[in-house]
Amino acid sequence: MSNIIHAENLTLSYKKDQEDILSNISFNVHKGEFVFITGLSGSGKSTLLKSIYGELKPKMGSLTVVENDLVTIKSKQLEKFRRKLGIVFQDYKLINEWTIEENIRLPLKIAKATEKTQLGRMPLLLAHANLFDILERYPLELSGGEQQRVGVVRALVHEPLLILADEPTGNLDAESSAVIWKLLGEASSLLDITVLVVTHQIPKIFAFPHRHLTIKEKGLYEL
Amino acid sequence: MNFKNHLMFILPLMAILLGIEFFFVFDRVTKSYEESLTKSYTMFVSTKKPMKFSDFKALDSKIATVELVKRDYIENKMKEMINRSNMKKSLKLLPYFYNLGLESYLKIEIIEEIKKELEKNKNIITIETFSNSYTTSYKLFSFIKLIFNIFIIFMIVVSLLLILKQMEIWKFKHKERMKIMEIFGASVFMRSRVLFIMALIDALLSTLFVSAIFILIKIKWAMNSGIEMISKHQEFLFTSNDVIILFSSAILIVLITVYIVVFSSKGTIE
Repeated sequence: MSNIIHAENLTLSYKKDQEDILSNISFNVHKGEFVFITGLSGSGKSTLLKSIYGELKPKMGSLTVVENDLVTIKSKQLEKFRRKLGIVFQDYKLINEWTIEENIRLPLKIAKATEKTQLGRMPLLLAHANLFDILERYPLELSGGEQQRVGVVRALVHEPLLILADEPTGNLDAESSAVIWKLLGEASSLLDITVLVVTHQIPKIFAFPHRHLTIKEKGLYEL
Repeated sequence: MNFKNHLMFILPLMAILLGIEFFFVFDRVTKSYEESLTKSYTMFVSTKKPMKFSDFKALDSKIATVELVKRDYIENKMKEMINRSNMKKSLKLLPYFYNLGLESYLKIEIIEEIKKELEKNKNIITIETFSNSYTTSYKLFSFIKLIFNIFIIFMIVVSLLLILKQMEIWKFKHKERMKIMEIFGASVFMRSRVLFIMALIDALLSTLFVSAIFILIKIKWAMNSGIEMISKHQEFLFTSNDVIILFSSAILIVLITVYIVVFSSKGTIE
């Protein structure tokens, strides 16, 4: 089984002279796995996620994600690397001036996908997430649940190798959360996409096979 | 981006371009004025023996022309006053007079230096620089030019501050969008394309507006201005090269502005 993420003795901090947020952690995530990383607020879950999508350089140790060494990666290579990821944020991070369709098409546009490819992938996902009726609307016209469904479809539309989700249901009610967990679970089980979710607690309703890692006192442990 | 945002960028940019164009106009007018002063200006020199152009040139390289003042007038005047025998003796004693032209408009200090160089030659008796009449009008002109240049610099600084302020608005407005695009792997050009297009349109519009103002002044006002130099040389007000300079300046300013916005929008997403 090939590694999508390989971290060894990884230490993270926002500045070199600041206290470490995570210290000396090692872990692997294999292709197609669904991994939850849990921990208390401020334990470093989001920081770990930021380092995985190249937003924060490791202070020490090694971190390889989708065959990219994130310790030595250059900006051009970082752009190409990020095109292989799908990221879901707690606060959705949709572009409010763009329509829902434009927001969903963003990763395809960045990947310079042809119009034919874009049309081929989108309908199935839109139908699955029940978004067909709101394509012409703008993010601020939608509910939180709808916005997050758009966020998940945007993360899936370009068939990424890895989906990273940062507290994807943190702002949602139980009903909307269930839809999001279902979409993410199916992405892993049906499309064989690796999914890494950081959240403070694994939802009880989550019925898909998964691994569970937890952050405690700057370390990462398998449960 | 709405019309107000465009205007808030176009107006200061126009002020800068107006400043640049005013500077060019004044520079061309000044140069022409200096040329006319140089053409009409001569130093007056009297010598014991005749001297050639090369003799003067050897004394100071800035001397561009030498004209011998005809002695006929002086001789005729002398004939009326003294008899023939004394006339020959007197003519031998009469100095040779020259008008010396300069290669360009020179400051009064440099003219004084030339005078000193000429005075070293024992053949030269007297030198008159006419420095007062030479500098009076030019000093006034230079003073106006100085004041105007200070005003232009002030205008450009204020306009740049306004552009920086507008840039802050742009940054605030586009930071989130550019950050999201960056997270999804968009290149610098792709995530800032909208800004570049907007900025280029603003640069083009500013150049067109400023060019139109000066072309209008050139066509409508120059001929009837009553200023000889302007009505004779309308090209001082605007040339086709100015469009290129103005557009290049506008492009440079907007590119710097957009790059500042783009690179200051990088950073950790909250």
